[in-house]
Amino acid sequence: MLRARNLAHVYEETTVFEGLSIGVEPGEVLAIIGPSGGGKTTLLELLSLSLPPTAGTVSVGGVDAWAADAASRLALRRQVGMVFQEASLFGATVARNVEYGLRIRRSWRARVRDQLSGLWGATETSPAVRDALAVVGMDDQRDQPAGALSGGEAQRVAFARALAYDASVLLLDEPASDLDPRNTAALEAAIEEAASRGIGVVIATHDMHQARRVADRVGVLLDGQITEIGPPAQVFERPTDERTRRFISGELVY
Amino acid sequence: MTPPLVLELLPALIDLPFRDGYVSSIVWVSLSVSLLAVTLSTLVSIPTAILLGFREFPGRRLLKTLINTGMGFPSVVVGLLVLFVVSNQGPLGSFELIFTRQAMVMSQFVLATPPITAISLAAITGVRQEIRDAARALGGTRLDVALVVLKEARYGIATAILAGFGRAISEVGSVLIVGGNITSASGISRTRTLTTAIQLEARQGQYETALMLGAVLLVLVLTVNAIVVRYGDGGIQR
Repeated sequence: MLRARNLAHVYEETTVFEGLSIGVEPGEVLAIIGPSGGGKTTLLELLSLSLPPTAGTVSVGGVDAWAADAASRLALRRQVGMVFQEASLFGATVARNVEYGLRIRRSWRARVRDQLSGLWGATETSPAVRDALAVVGMDDQRDQPAGALSGGEAQRVAFARALAYDASVLLLDEPASDLDPRNTAALEAAIEEAASRGIGVVIATHDMHQARRVADRVGVLLDGQITEIGPPAQVFERPTDERTRRFISGELVY
Repeated sequence: MTPPLVLELLPALIDLPFRDGYVSSIVWVSLSVSLLAVTLSTLVSIPTAILLGFREFPGRRLLKTLINTGMGFPSVVVGLLVLFVVSNQGPLGSFELIFTRQAMVMSQFVLATPPITAISLAAITGVRQEIRDAARALGGTRLDVALVVLKEARYGIATAILAGFGRAISEVGSVLIVGGNITSASGISRTRTLTTAIQLEARQGQYETALMLGAVLLVLVLTVNAIVVRYGDGGIQR
């Protein structure tokens, strides 16, 4: 579905990656683990098409995004959703936040009409929005202002916001690093639900236990390379790469 | 039950020391000139603030410095400059704008634009980068991201417009110079505003009248503020 080939990224003359290839299939959860500052976020930025790679290709559904024109690239970019470490919800109700992705995909005419009808009173929440909120267990709070939510609830809403518009791939950057166990469990359940709907999920995390719980495959990003990739059991218990083994056992500290 | 004494006396009180319609015509001149000037300022300020907040271009710093300087522009100096522009020998002399409300709108426009732009810009740049990233990551185009930022900055922008209105309606120096504080023979205000009327009455020793006009001005500013605060949000964030 989403595939990066021979990716290189050079930032201020420092090579962050070189010759990196990775892909995610529909319905698959791929965890990227690696040390903080190891380039996980940059990799997700490249995969989300918000950053052009120095070399290599990123393709969505077989179409090379950076070889395509700007309009096609926007269409490809819109198939990829992203959730950041921080929820960064907009100053609006929960439902309006989750609706955002759907709203900007509508025609300008429909958007203006929607804004105007919003002035008169509350508009009906669309089924897609309610469904996405139900997946993260937040449908009850859809009319609350986003500012009133706790950090964990906000992050769940941020996930619903990316889920609502039917992206084919979701990229999650340390989505649970600041969450308590209850919110983490709700988020992980939502990730599983998304995957069961055929969405490919890439989750960057430094939490190996989480990677083990949610991932179908785990990729280890060390020194700008994927040193090991495969099912969690294989990567965590029988890594073939020496650096991976030392990183997982905690001997290799960055 | 009888209505409170104040309510009964209010209509009589307002026009008491004057011929019919004197105060109401002053209020009308003040409000119409300031509202028009602030509307025009807003139409220029918001796009300028957006440009400054979203784009890098040569001269950006210079423009910002100019705007910040403009916030402290003395209103009499602005009045003087506008007077030169609209005077018979000035570039707009042929339009005969001197001592008209149009000239007053011009000077208030010059005065209100810098604070509206600067405060809006502060509100726009104050929107966290994470919010912009989120809008973009959800599939937003440049325009979508800009709209999100504007929406997030809406309270700051409303404050900016209020500050501009406050500067315009409470300002004396420039409207006195370019407007001339004129009434018609029947005592109806042509270019007399609340502030210039207060200044005149106070100089003539009519302190009660001046105080009353001052109270009207205060109530006007309070009312406009209350309307913006009330309808700027309506209690529910959308």
